[in-house]
Parts: sequence; structure tokens; C-alpha cells
Amino acid sequence: MARDNAYQTEEVSSTRRVIAASSVGTLIEWYDFYIFGTLAKIISEQFFPKDNPTAALLATLATFAAGFVVRPFGALFFGRLGDLIGRKYTFLVTLVIMGGSTFAIGLVPGYKVIGFFAPAIVFLLRLLQGLALGGEYGGAATYVAEHSPAGRRGFWTSFIQTTATLGLFLALGIILIVRTTLTVPVFEDWGWRIPFIVSAFLVGVSIFIRMKMSESPMFVKMKKEGKTSKNPLAESFKQKDNLKMVLIALLGATAGQGVVWYTGQFYALSFLQNACNIDFEQSNTIILIALVLGTPFFVIFGALSDKIGRKYIMMAGMLIAVIAYRPIYTMMYNAADLKQKTEVVEQTKISEPKVEVKGTDTVTTIVTKKTFSDGTTYKETVKKTIPLDEAKRAKLEAAGKLKPETKKSVILPKNLYYNMIAFVFIQVIFVTMVYGPIAAFLVEIFPTRIRYTSMSLPYHIGNGVFGGLVPLISTRLVEASRPGPGLPPSDPLAGLWYPILIAGVSFVIGSLYISNKTNNLDAE
Amino acid sequence: MSAIKKIFGILWTLMGVGIVPLVIKQAMKEIAAKPSEENWIFWSIVIVVLMPIIAFSLITFGVFALKGEYDTIE
Repeated sequence: MARDNAYQTEEVSSTRRVIAASSVGTLIEWYDFYIFGTLAKIISEQFFPKDNPTAALLATLATFAAGFVVRPFGALFFGRLGDLIGRKYTFLVTLVIMGGSTFAIGLVPGYKVIGFFAPAIVFLLRLLQGLALGGEYGGAATYVAEHSPAGRRGFWTSFIQTTATLGLFLALGIILIVRTTLTVPVFEDWGWRIPFIVSAFLVGVSIFIRMKMSESPMFVKMKKEGKTSKNPLAESFKQKDNLKMVLIALLGATAGQGVVWYTGQFYALSFLQNACNIDFEQSNTIILIALVLGTPFFVIFGALSDKIGRKYIMMAGMLIAVIAYRPIYTMMYNAADLKQKTEVVEQTKISEPKVEVKGTDTVTTIVTKKTFSDGTTYKETVKKTIPLDEAKRAKLEAAGKLKPETKKSVILPKNLYYNMIAFVFIQVIFVTMVYGPIAAFLVEIFPTRIRYTSMSLPYHIGNGVFGGLVPLISTRLVEASRPGPGLPPSDPLAGLWYPILIAGVSFVIGSLYISNKTNNLDAE
Repeated sequence: MSAIKKIFGILWTLMGVGIVPLVIKQAMKEIAAKPSEENWIFWSIVIVVLMPIIAFSLITFGVFALKGEYDTIE
């Protein structure tokens, strides 16, 4: 009895070490990946031509998407490697590639210094990041699952599931610390590079930890018996029995999960900053607090999935998200909508125009500050840049490019700020419902010999392509609802139709075709 | 349940087939109306990346469902 207890304690402690070592590396990979997305606006200004800000932003989002789109290729390449040579070394390689690319992005000179080479190099490094991430997650989830006891797999793999959100949390946190430590102009000039450079240290620590890990026991056993796959790609996608499970995993689970994940975290942040014009610091802290409060639910739903099955929790998450998105975002929009507030006119301040000569341009800045009866404050900075050179000015004027640049910033009072946290927190709960059990679900539907390859592809197509394109497609849908150039969108929530449609279809497919039974992991 | 799975299989197949002309028509319409760089980038991503994945996976999945490949899953 005592020996049994000692054995169980040793086993739990060993599983904990495996989880910790795997999770730290995966968390850092997510951090590396998300600092790029979070700093999209600044990166766009640094590396892409400034003539058209929307084009520059879209170019960045496209690069962002490219990072996601190559993830499935990383999944195939490293998944195959993981099924052939082992899980441990494969996801060690992905970590080195990810860390190296992130560090290098922090060192690339801007467009002003090296011209077209700047966006080209950043684009290539971003592709490398996507490839590395494509190989990382499947390896970590498989590795942890193959160490976990049956009946507790949902619980143990849910720690890997927290890493994506914690990686985003770490990215937002470090960016916020650097930005508040430096001044905003310094941050926008070179300070944004610090979060990229910090990555080198984090990756170094993680590599050290991972070097000490042992190979997955199921893979070792299979290799000893000579049962590893000779061609994991062909076995995964050419054999009907496995291909049909890949399709069910993609259409019934990961596609819906991907859009719910990105809507609840990235789209929410973008909506707060661009549609509600919430101040940078306030919008980031809203997301940060909601993420901190929501993160334990990954583990709660992961553990619950061991008891009641993975399917019910994931499908419930998708269904509630589909139903609740529009009401939640309407409330978020209304909370910050200045048209629905009463301005305290006597407190309105309009600054005198401040005229400065910067290089070859004259820059005129006017700042307007307004206060509203509910405690909301609003700051609008209008900056007009006019070239000193007459000919250049006439040319830009003729092309309609002398429009002033307007920055809007809304600061909410405490009660509305807390309401916003609650609205984002609810969305994070949807995320935890669909994402908490999914690693266990994916590893259990594929055999050990091709698990890394088979589970990585649907995961990264679902998250990378369906989910990763949420910012691009949603921005586009909102733009399309503008009645004319420069006019406000007729439906500021139009961007939600994409995640609602994908999650809706995924819910129907998952409900009809996915089994709620928990499968045991075989050793072949 | 098996019958419902098969009937829906027809729906998934039709959706997969239908999405191709729908997306291409919309892309051509929007690019013709405004042939800007951002329009080209957006529709290239949709047509080259998203559409083939949706079409291929829905058609294949629909055919499998129609053939009763998923009938044994409860």
C-alpha cells in the first residue's frame, strides 16, 4: 500500500515536471509569436511604406496572416519529423528557430534605413516563426498526453492549453511595461524592439530546461519494437480511416475553436482600440485582467472533460459564443459610444494650434479634450503635416494625401472599465470551454505512430487559417459596411459575422459527428 | 442518426462546391470596382488560402458522411 502510494506520488511529480518543462517552452513560443501581432501598428509604420496607413496596416495583417498560413506547413514538416525521430528533439528545434527569428526581427533596420529589404526580411522571419509554431504545439500536446495517465489526460494537457493565453498575456505585459517605462515616442522609435530582444533570454532558459527532458515513453516503446511509421504523411492523409478523423477534427472542432479563440482575445483588443477608441493602456489592461481571471478555467474545463467528455464542453462553448457575441459587443460599443453620452461643455478644452518644423515638413497639432457626465474623458489629437516644398505640397494636395491624421482616445470611468473587463472575461470563458479540452480530444483520436503529424495539421489549419484570419476578414467586413470613404461604418459589429458563421458550422458538424466517448491512447 | 448524418453530408458537399463560384464572383466584383493593392491582397489570401481549404475539406467530408463513414461514431 505504502509502496503504491509512493509510486503514485513519484508518478504525479514526474508528470508535473514534464508539464512544467513543456509548458514553459510553448508559452515562450506563443509570446514570440504574439508580440508581432500586438505591435502590428508600430511594425507597419517601421517596415512598410507610410503613404497609405490602411494599406500599411493591411500589409502587416497580411504578414500576420502569412505567419499563420505557414503554420500548417510547419505542422506537416515538424509533425513528420516528430513521428520519425521523436517528440523531444523536434520541439527543441522549433524552439531554437522561433527564438532566433524573434530576436532577429528586433534587430532589422527600418524601411527608412534599408528600404525594401526591411519588409522583405521581416516577412521571411515571420514565415520562420510560423513554421516553428506549426511544429511546436502538436509536439508539446502529444508529449504531455503520452506522459499522462488515462482518465486525467484532459486535466494534464489543459496546462499546455493555458500557454497560448499566457503567452499573449506575457506579450501584452512586457509591451505595457516597456511602453510605460519609456516615453511613447521613444517606444515607437526603437523601444518596441526590446520585447523581441528579450525573447533571446527566455528561449535560452527554455532550451536549457528542455535539454534535460526524456523522450515520450510511448514513442520510446514503439521505437524499440520497430513500430514507428515509415511515412507519417502518407499514413495520416492518404489512408481514409485517418483522413476522415483529420476532417472531423478540423471542421467539427478546431475551425470553430480557432475563431472563438481569436475573437475572444485579439478581436476584442482590436475592437476596444479601433471601434471604441479606448486608450492604449486601458484597453490592454482590460484584456490582461480578463485573461488572468479566465486562465484557470482552461484547467477547470480540461479536468471537467475527463468526467463528462470533451465534446459537450467544446460544443457548448461554440454555441454560447455564437449566440452571445453580438449582444456582448453591442454592450461594449455602447459603453464607449460618445454619441450616447452627455458632454459637459464647460469642461471642453481646445488647445491653440502648435506649429513645428520637422525636417522638410510643417506639423500643426491641435488637441481637444472633452469630459462627459458619466465620467468618460475624450482626447482628440489632430495632426496636419504639410511639406515646406511648394511643388511637393501641390502634388500631395492633388492626390488628396494632405488629410490630417486624427488620434482618438477614450478613457472610461471605473464602473464602465469594470464592465468592459466583464465583457471580455465572458469571452475568455468561451475560449476556455472550446480550447481547454481540445488537446486531449485531438491526441485521443489519432494513433501514436502518426499522432504528431495527424493532430498538428487540423490544429494549425483551424487556429492558423480560420482563426488567424479573424483580424483580416473582420477588419474587411467592417470596412465594407462604410457607406463611403472616411464615413463611420453602418455596422461596427459587422466583423463578428465571420467568427459567428465559422463557429456555427463547426458546432453543427461537431454535434452531429464527434463522439463524446474518451478514447485510450494506444501504443501503436 | 445515420440518416441525418448522410442528409447533412449532401449539405456539406453542396456548400463546398458552392463556395468556389460565390467567392470568385465576389472577388471579381470588388476588384473591378476598386482595383487597389489592399483589395488584391485580401482577395488573394481568401482565394489562394481560405477557399481551397474550405472547399476541399467540406466536399471530402460531405462525401465521407454521405457514404456512411461516420455512422459508427456515436
